[in-house]
Amino acid sequence: MAKQPQDAMTRALARRETTVAYLFLLPSLVFFLGFVVIPMIICIFTSLTDSNMNAKIATSFVGLSNFIKLASDKTFIDALINTFVIVLVSVPAVCAFSLWVSSAIYRLNGVLLSAFRCIFYLPVVTGSVAVTVVWKWMYNNYTGIFNHVLKTVGIIDKNINWLGDEKYALWCIILILFTTSVGQPIVLYVSALGNVDHSLVEAAEVDGANNMQVFWQIKWPQMMPTTLYILVITTINSFQCFALIQLLTSGGSGTNTVMYYIYYTAFKLTEQAGHFGYANAMGVVLAIFIGLLSALQFKLAKEK
Amino acid sequence: MKSGVQHKSVYRIVSIIVLFILAFLFVFPLYWIVTGAFKTTQQINSVTPVWFPTEWTLDNFVRLFARRTAPIFPMGPVGPAAIRWLFNTVFMAVAAMILTCITASMAGYALAKKRFRGRAILFGLIVCAMALPKQVILIPLIREISFLGLYDNIWAVIFPTVGWPFGVFLMKQFSEGIPGEILEAARIDGANEARTFATIVVPMVKPGLGALAIFTFINSWNDYFMQLIMLASTENATISLGISTLQAETSVDTGMLMAGAALAAAPIIIVFLIFQKYFTQGITMGAVKG
Amino acid sequence: MSSVSLKNIYKIYEGNVTAVNDFNLEIADKEFIVLVGPSGCGKSTTLRMVAGLEEISKGELHIDGKLVNDVEPKDRDIAMVFQSYALYPHMTVRENMEFPLKLRKMDKDEIKRRVDQAAEILDIGVYLDRKPKALSGGQRQRVAIGRAIVREPKVLLMDEPLSNLDAKLRNQMRAEIIKLRQRINTTFVYVTHDQTEAMTLGDRIVIMKDGLVQQIGTPQQVFEHPINVFVAGFIGTPQMNFFQGQLEKTGNGYQIKCLGATIPVEGELAQKLAAKNLSNRAVTVGIRPEHITVKGADAANAIQSSIEVSELMGSELYLHATVGDNKQEIVMRIPTIDLPAEHRGGVPYGTKFNFTFPSNLIHLFDPDTEKNMLDL
Repeated sequence: MAKQPQDAMTRALARRETTVAYLFLLPSLVFFLGFVVIPMIICIFTSLTDSNMNAKIATSFVGLSNFIKLASDKTFIDALINTFVIVLVSVPAVCAFSLWVSSAIYRLNGVLLSAFRCIFYLPVVTGSVAVTVVWKWMYNNYTGIFNHVLKTVGIIDKNINWLGDEKYALWCIILILFTTSVGQPIVLYVSALGNVDHSLVEAAEVDGANNMQVFWQIKWPQMMPTTLYILVITTINSFQCFALIQLLTSGGSGTNTVMYYIYYTAFKLTEQAGHFGYANAMGVVLAIFIGLLSALQFKLAKEK
Repeated sequence: MKSGVQHKSVYRIVSIIVLFILAFLFVFPLYWIVTGAFKTTQQINSVTPVWFPTEWTLDNFVRLFARRTAPIFPMGPVGPAAIRWLFNTVFMAVAAMILTCITASMAGYALAKKRFRGRAILFGLIVCAMALPKQVILIPLIREISFLGLYDNIWAVIFPTVGWPFGVFLMKQFSEGIPGEILEAARIDGANEARTFATIVVPMVKPGLGALAIFTFINSWNDYFMQLIMLASTENATISLGISTLQAETSVDTGMLMAGAALAAAPIIIVFLIFQKYFTQGITMGAVKG
Repeated sequence: MSSVSLKNIYKIYEGNVTAVNDFNLEIADKEFIVLVGPSGCGKSTTLRMVAGLEEISKGELHIDGKLVNDVEPKDRDIAMVFQSYALYPHMTVRENMEFPLKLRKMDKDEIKRRVDQAAEILDIGVYLDRKPKALSGGQRQRVAIGRAIVREPKVLLMDEPLSNLDAKLRNQMRAEIIKLRQRINTTFVYVTHDQTEAMTLGDRIVIMKDGLVQQIGTPQQVFEHPINVFVAGFIGTPQMNFFQGQLEKTGNGYQIKCLGATIPVEGELAQKLAAKNLSNRAVTVGIRPEHITVKGADAANAIQSSIEVSELMGSELYLHATVGDNKQEIVMRIPTIDLPAEHRGGVPYGTKFNFTFPSNLIHLFDPDTEKNMLDL
């Protein structure tokens, strides 16, 4: 009875499984490690240096000084506030809206349901550039339809420079972000509502619950995982809102966000010493905020 | 009881009306793009908006195509840059789609069905990476891209897309649905690893693959930020990038910009409408995670 | 020559969990072996080791005289039918059956011949162009068998193939498998938890429990001479009755005191006990429900019981009764014709019922080791 060779065979078999597995993983792993993981590491590393875009200028390690600078950078603080305004307004709005729309359409017949779902998804698919270009025109001071319609209806009497006025610009951006954010949540909520265990609903109805009660007591809890997912991705999405700001206001009129400031610092402020490292530091801070917010959302959802 | 039913149907009628209004509002920008693309400059710039164009013209497109020129495909004859932009974008989206499908299906299968050392760590890494903001990675990525000599190259936009772990995650979910006994039966029947994967696994995860393909195509087409950072020249720009540089150059020629927007959005919307079933499937499956 | 030889086979998992413990079996060419036992007894694991799907921790496996411990499943010349059938859902029935043959680069005509022949044997010719999801459970199972037999393997392994079928279909398929065996000449290793399948299908049965082989024998052997209490209780429906008793030596033989009665031991059993020179001792008595009778139950050795439950099975009644103050439970199978007319539809709760059983059908087990006393 050969005991030793048998044990060795087990290890060899495990090694073979592992080799085969990694061969299957290899192509994806190359891209994943190379273009996702390594940049992540570079980001953290660079944030601790004073590197520049121009590689000819020497780079040195500066520790946490980038981060300390950030804490007193007024532009950054303003950008942070704007970013949070965007997130804290759009995330609940998107969720509530998608929830309502989904509950209203999910029981419609197939064609109508698909049509609505499609329509609400269209702004997402249209792409940032096309969306921004047309909204810019709609928001235009003189030839934009917003001003025209509002004047015709009588709400305002003078043209408003929507994108140029600090009072309004950020909210204009939020509105566009809103329309391009509800598509995916609606798809998910429709699917989740369809998957609600109908026998529970029937039991509640027999027990005498009305529509609202059925919705909040029975359906809502079952959709918690979906809600959580939607909250997280909408949050991440809002934090990263970029094209809208770059193309509509270039960060002006009180619409500077962290994401835009990162871009601006990394690519536009090429004269400023150590700008690239600074931008990376901002990226790290942003990632941390997103991570914390997501974790918070997870925790809240778990406790409910 | 009767008033309750009445109340319910009033609510339903009101919601349907509101829905139609909302749907109209959501579609309106698209309508505005399309009509704007064919409006005369006069109609575009009129103070009172022309809701439905009385005259149709192709001038906007003419100007769009004339604005910039470039070889319409690499080494090809020079023509409107916009055409080249479309070519670049299609090439990029298709390449990203094909590469992602191949790599993700292989990796997803391994993660779902193979027991190997480091599996838990790898999967944890993937989940963490998915939670991260994608755009934040792009800033340091540019360093790496120029180091690899890929700056201003279409592949600079394709490779990071392929690396994004969502595809692997999705394919893992789908691969888990394959019963282990079927793989064992294939093994007993005499199929080796590659054969099993190609003839048994892939056909069984086809819906997932379809969803991933569409997803990747659309998302890579619309990934403006990455295109902005990685591509520089007119020749290599994508349609989104091209239109946005035009917009930066002129804020007056709205008609041309609308034509550009129409060109940028139309293909992808058509693709979306045709394949929306797969798309919906992909989104839903991707969300059914821990 | 398709003999299979398992010598000292062990399966040990991480954390020292022994799923299969020192399994030894020599399977003759073309024999139909059934591995049977409760869930978790190691029967499927053993089968999978023979297939090559599980690694053999210790011991040697020979197929046809060759050591195959490290040989890939596809090179062992075995085929397997899975409990869930494991049919390739995207292929038609024909393609499912052609798959293993195509992988071996077999000639196209030969492939067609084999597939058609298997389809004829299993009566699935009509389904050849359908996909598995268009078939019922029973049909899918036949396809699974078809995919296995086209290979003309040396050993055909079957892992609980009937477990997913409803009762009626199961009975039907059992007969089909017996007919199948007559048409294809190969060695069968069949795993099931159902002792009826084991008894009807196997040339020899291997009864397992907790990874250990309990007994290997022909159906008749394990039925008539169970080696321990577990085997005795596992084989036979309803389960054998067990109760405590006292074996006493009498002047010219033995007697057993149990259930408040004294049963003299006669004939062969008495001779065997005498040969073992056993003295007075406690025993566990086993008697099968079908061996209990009401005939001759007025004699001195009749046992009194009180009926709890009565199940009419058609020509028999299953009676659940209790005996004595400590309510020892007894199950009996009594043919209805042996009962008085008023009891043929059922025996009411509380009826006082006398029964007895012939001593030569008694099984005696050691109360501590649970082993058959005749083997001690």
